[in-house]
Amino acid sequence: MTSVPSKLYSDDVSLVVVLLDTNPFFWTASSSLSFSQFLSHVLAFVNSILLLNQLNQVVVIASGYNTCDYIYDSSSDASQLGSEDGRMPSLYSNLLQKLEEFMIKDEKLGKEQSQRAIKSSLLSGALSMALCYIQRVFRSGPLHPQPRILCLQGSPDGPEQYVAVMNSIFSAQRSMVPIDSCYVGAHNSAFLQQASYITAGVYVKPQHLDGLFQYLTTVFATDLHSRSFIQLPRPAGVDFRASCFCHKTTIDMGYICSVCLSIFCNHHKKCSTCGSVFGQAQSDTSSTSDLKRKAPET
Amino acid sequence: MTNNIAEKRRQQEEEDDEEDGDLDGWGERSYADERSWEALQEDESGLLRPLDNKAMYHAQYRRRLRSLSTASNSQRIQKGLIRFLYIVLDLSRAASVMDFRPSRMAVVAQNVEAFIREFFDQNPLSQIALVTIKDGVAYSLTELGGSPESHIKALMAKLECSGDSSLQNALELVHEYLDKIPSYGNREVLILYSALTTCDPGDIMETIQKCKKSKMRCSVIGLSAEMFICKHLCQETGGLYSVALDESHFKELILEHAPPPPAIAEFAIANLIKMGFPQRAAEGSISICSCHKESKVGEGFICPRCKARVCELPTECRICGLTLVSSPHLARSYHHLFPIAPFDEVKPSRQNEPHRRSQKTCFGCQQSLVNPGNKPSLQVACPKCKQYFCLDCDIYIHESLHNCPGCESLRAS
Amino acid sequence: MPQVRIIAKNFMDMVASLPAMKLDRLYQNAFICEAILRSLPPLAKKYVVQILFFDGPVSGKLLEQWVLADGVTKHRVAIDRLIQLRIFIEVSDKKRESSYKLNQTFQANLRKHLTNGGVLPRETMAAVVKLPNLEELDTYALEQWEVGTSSMDRDAPRLTEGGFQFLLMDTNAQLWYIIREYITNSEISGFLQLGIYSLSHIERGTDPADLISFLLELSFHVTGEAYNINTLTEIQRNTIKDLAELGLVKLQQGRKESWFIPTKLATNLSVSLTDSSSRKQGYVVVETNFRLYAYSSSKLHCEILRLFSKIEYQLPNLIVGAITKESLYTAFENGITSDQIISFLQQNAHPRVAERLPSVPENVTDQIRLWEADLNRVEITPSHFYDEFPSRDTFEAACDFAREWNGLLWEDSKKMRVVVKAEIHMNMREFLRGQK
Repeated sequence: MTSVPSKLYSDDVSLVVVLLDTNPFFWTASSSLSFSQFLSHVLAFVNSILLLNQLNQVVVIASGYNTCDYIYDSSSDASQLGSEDGRMPSLYSNLLQKLEEFMIKDEKLGKEQSQRAIKSSLLSGALSMALCYIQRVFRSGPLHPQPRILCLQGSPDGPEQYVAVMNSIFSAQRSMVPIDSCYVGAHNSAFLQQASYITAGVYVKPQHLDGLFQYLTTVFATDLHSRSFIQLPRPAGVDFRASCFCHKTTIDMGYICSVCLSIFCNHHKKCSTCGSVFGQAQSDTSSTSDLKRKAPET
Repeated sequence: MTNNIAEKRRQQEEEDDEEDGDLDGWGERSYADERSWEALQEDESGLLRPLDNKAMYHAQYRRRLRSLSTASNSQRIQKGLIRFLYIVLDLSRAASVMDFRPSRMAVVAQNVEAFIREFFDQNPLSQIALVTIKDGVAYSLTELGGSPESHIKALMAKLECSGDSSLQNALELVHEYLDKIPSYGNREVLILYSALTTCDPGDIMETIQKCKKSKMRCSVIGLSAEMFICKHLCQETGGLYSVALDESHFKELILEHAPPPPAIAEFAIANLIKMGFPQRAAEGSISICSCHKESKVGEGFICPRCKARVCELPTECRICGLTLVSSPHLARSYHHLFPIAPFDEVKPSRQNEPHRRSQKTCFGCQQSLVNPGNKPSLQVACPKCKQYFCLDCDIYIHESLHNCPGCESLRAS
Repeated sequence: MPQVRIIAKNFMDMVASLPAMKLDRLYQNAFICEAILRSLPPLAKKYVVQILFFDGPVSGKLLEQWVLADGVTKHRVAIDRLIQLRIFIEVSDKKRESSYKLNQTFQANLRKHLTNGGVLPRETMAAVVKLPNLEELDTYALEQWEVGTSSMDRDAPRLTEGGFQFLLMDTNAQLWYIIREYITNSEISGFLQLGIYSLSHIERGTDPADLISFLLELSFHVTGEAYNINTLTEIQRNTIKDLAELGLVKLQQGRKESWFIPTKLATNLSVSLTDSSSRKQGYVVVETNFRLYAYSSSKLHCEILRLFSKIEYQLPNLIVGAITKESLYTAFENGITSDQIISFLQQNAHPRVAERLPSVPENVTDQIRLWEADLNRVEITPSHFYDEFPSRDTFEAACDFAREWNGLLWEDSKKMRVVVKAEIHMNMREFLRGQK
C-alpha cells in the first residue's frame, strides 16, 4: 500500500552495460555512418543516461575484431574522484583514451591473423564480460541498480560464436537481464534478434543512421520500470536460424544428431561432436520416416 | 555478508531454474529447518558475525566441479538428449498418508509440476507422458507430448487417490507405449511410488525382463521405505532407486532426473534427424495457420521447406512433415557438449611472479583481486587463456554462463 | 499515505510556485536544470530528452503515442508537471491542438550538457593539508544531524504531533522539511529556531530562488573535496554557515583561506527530490510474536523505536524491543497513527525481511490497526433528543419518519423518547409541526 504510490513517480536506477562495436573491418567499409559520428551519438546517449538519474551507472565494453575490454565505467570514475558525481568531465577523456589504447591493442593482435570471410566482432566475449560484471552488481547487495545490456553492433554475426552467444543469452535470461540491441549494419543480426527476443529486450535496426541519437534516447534510455507503460518497437520477424557445427554457416534446415543435438548442414556418417555412428533407420519406426530420412548406407 | 547474498542469489537462480516450485505457506517450515545460527560466529569483541564460509563454499564447489569433469573426461560426451519419459504417479491409498505435508500426493504433484518445467527446459526435444496407478489399475493420464502446460493441467485435474497400487500393471502399460517410439529416443520411466506393496495380476519378474529387453530405463523414487522389487527393477533396467526422507529431499531426488542421463546413450541408436529452424513471422502479419486451419495475425512461425505457418514450436509441420524446432531450444543443451575446463587455482607464490603482477582485477567483473592490506585474495586462472578470475566469477562462469570470458574475447586462430 | 512523499514533493511544488521570472532565472544555471530534470516523473524525463533536439513545437498527441493505453494518466501528470515548472511552454496552433515547446534556456543548457558532458560547479582546492576521509565525514554529518533531530522536540515543553511525525520520516525527507522551512522563513524573519539549531545567519528578505539554486548546485559538488569559500557570493557564504550546522558541509580553516567540504547529506540533496531517496538499508526485523529487533547502534534509532515500542535491552549493535498495547497507546496519545508506525516499520525493514512480502508480519500490522481502532470505539454523532410526545401515534409516526430518513439513533417506546441525528432535526421539526 505504501510502496505503490511511490513507484508511480520514480524510475528505476539503471545500470546500462553498453557493448560498443569497434570492429575496424566493419567501420572502414561502412559508408552511411562513420565511426566518429557513431561515437558522438553514443557519447551523447551515455551522457543522457547519466543525466536522467544521479545514481544511474554506465559501463562501456568495446568489442573489437581480436579482443574486447572494458573501456569506461562511470562508477570507478567516481571513486577516483571520491564521489558519485563529478563523473561527467572525465567521460570524454577517460573513455576516448581507453578506446584508443584498446583499438591499438586490437590492431596489434590482428597482425598475424589470417583473413577470414566474415569479419565479425567478438560479441560473445563482450556479452560474457558484461554478464560477469552484472553478477558482481547483483552480489553487491539488495539495493543494486537494475542492470540491462545494450549491444551497439554493426558487424555481421560470427557463426563460430554461436554456442557462446547462445550460452550468454540463456544466462542473461535466467538472471532476468534484458539484452537490448541496436544494429547499425546492413542486414539484420540473427544473434541480436534472438538475444533481445529471448531476454525480453528491444531490437531496433534504425532506418536513418544520422538520427541514431534520437533512436537511442527514445528507445534505449527507457528504464525497465517505465517499459511497462511505454510503447516500444515491437519485434519484427525474429531469425531463429541456427549455424551448423561443421561449416559454421547459417542454415534454416539441417540434420540434428540424436545423441547430442549437434547441428550439421549435410549428412555425415559419424557425429563430430559426440562420436556417435549414425545407424540405419529401423523399419518398425518408419512410420515417422521423415524424422530419419536419408539414413546412410552402413 | 556479500557472500551470503551471492549465495542467496545463486539459490534464487537455481530456484528460477526449477521454475519456482515455491510452495506458498511453506516458508515457515523451511525457515525453521535452516539452522541459521550455525552460520554465525563470534568475533574478538563478542559480536556475532556471519561465518566467513566463502572459501569453504568455493572449495566444495571446486570438488563438485572436479568430480564432474573427471566423470565426463572420456573426451566424448554422450548424453541421451532425446528422451521419452513416462512419469508414473502412485495414487493408491498410500498416497494420502500425511507424513509428508500436507500429504504425499500433494507433495508429489507440486514437485512433478516443477520437474516437468525443468525437464523441458533442459531437454528441449524430449517428450513426457503421465500415468497414474489407482485401485490396482494403471491409467494413461496424458500421451507423450512436448507441452508442459497440457501435462500439468491434466495432472492437477486428476488428483484423487484410492485403492491398491500395482507396479506390474503400470509397467505393462508403459511398455506397450514405449515400445513404439523411434529407436533414437531414450526410453525412460520414472515411478513415484508411495505404497509399500504391489498388487499384481501376474509374474512381475517377467514384466521386468520385458522392460529390460525393450531398453527401458526404469527409475523409482519411493516415499515410504525401500522395497526389494523396486530395487530389483532399477538394477535390472539401469535406473536409479532412491527413497525420499522428507519434502526437500524428494524435490532434490526428482530434479536429479531432469538433466539428461549420461550413460544411456548406448541404449538408443544414434541417428541424424532432419529438422527445420523456422523464422518467427513479424507481428501483425496475417497468414493461414496450418494447425488451426484459419487465418491468424502475427506470432507464428514459417516452415522453411513448405512455407506453411505453424503456431507453436517444437512441432511437426502439418504439410511436409518436417520436424520444426527453434534453434534456441537446441542451444540450451550445448553447454553439455562444450564444457569449459575447470579453472586452476593460483598459488600465492605464482602471484608474486613479476609478469603476473600486472593483473590486479578479475577479468570478468573487474573486481579487485587484491584484498585491503595489499594481500592477494584467492583467485583462479583459465588454463587456456591464462586470464585471472575471482571466485565468484569462477562459480558463475561454470554454473550459469558456460563461457570463459577470457577465451571468448580472443579471436581463435 | 506516508508523510514522507508529500514533503518531498512539496519542495518541488515550492519551486514550481515561484514566479515565472524567477523560474526562468533559475534555469540559467545548468545544474538547476539537471537537478530539476532528475526530479521529474520518469515519463516527463523521457519527453524532455526525446524532444531536446527539436527546435519547433511538438504536438501533445505525438508524445502521447509513445504511451500505452493504461499510461494515459501518467502522460497527463507528466505534461502538467512540465508546464507547472515552465519546462514545457504550451503553444496552440491553428488546429487548436496543444503543442509544446521546451523552455529555451532549459533546452540550451541540457543540450550543452549532453554534447559536452558536464562540469563541476567549481574547482576543488588542490593543496589542502589534511582532508577528512569519507568515513570521518559521514560520521560527522550523521552526528551533526542526529544530535539535532533527536533533541529537536525534546527541548520543547511537550512533544508535538508534528514532532513525532517528523522523527518517523527518513533522513532525506527530514532534510528537505527543514530546508523548506528554512527557505520560507528566510523570506519573512531571517531567523529560524528549529530544535537546537538556530539558523540565524541568513539575512532577511533573501530571495528563495537564490537559496534553492545554491542548494541544488551544492548537490553537484564532490563529497569529501575541499572548495574555497571565496568562490561563494556573500549570501551563499552566510547560508553555508547554517548548512554546516545541519551537517551538510564541514567548514575548515587554514592559515590564509577557509574552505568547505560537502558531506553526503549535501550531495544527496538532488537525489532525494525523487522517490528513489528511500534507497537506504533498513535495520528493523519484526517477528510474528510482536518482538522487534533493530540492528543499529544509533541512539536516534533507539529513541524513535521507543516512541511506539517497549525497548527491552540493548546490545552493542542490536536493539531488542516489543510492540505492546501500552507502548502503542502512548504513541497514539501522542498523535502518531497506526499507518505511520506501520509504514515506518516497512520502510526500515532489514534487507533480510524486506524481500519478503509482507515485510512486517500481517498479524502485527492488523493488531496495531485494531488497537488503534479500539481507542476510537466511541463514535460521537451530533443528535437531538425528543420526549413528551402527545400520543403514541405521534411518537410512532415520528420514529417511522426518522427511520425513513435514516436518522433514527435510539428509541424508547415505553417512555416515548427518541434520539435522532442532528442533520434531520429540521425535517423532524417540520414533520412534527405538520402532525399537530
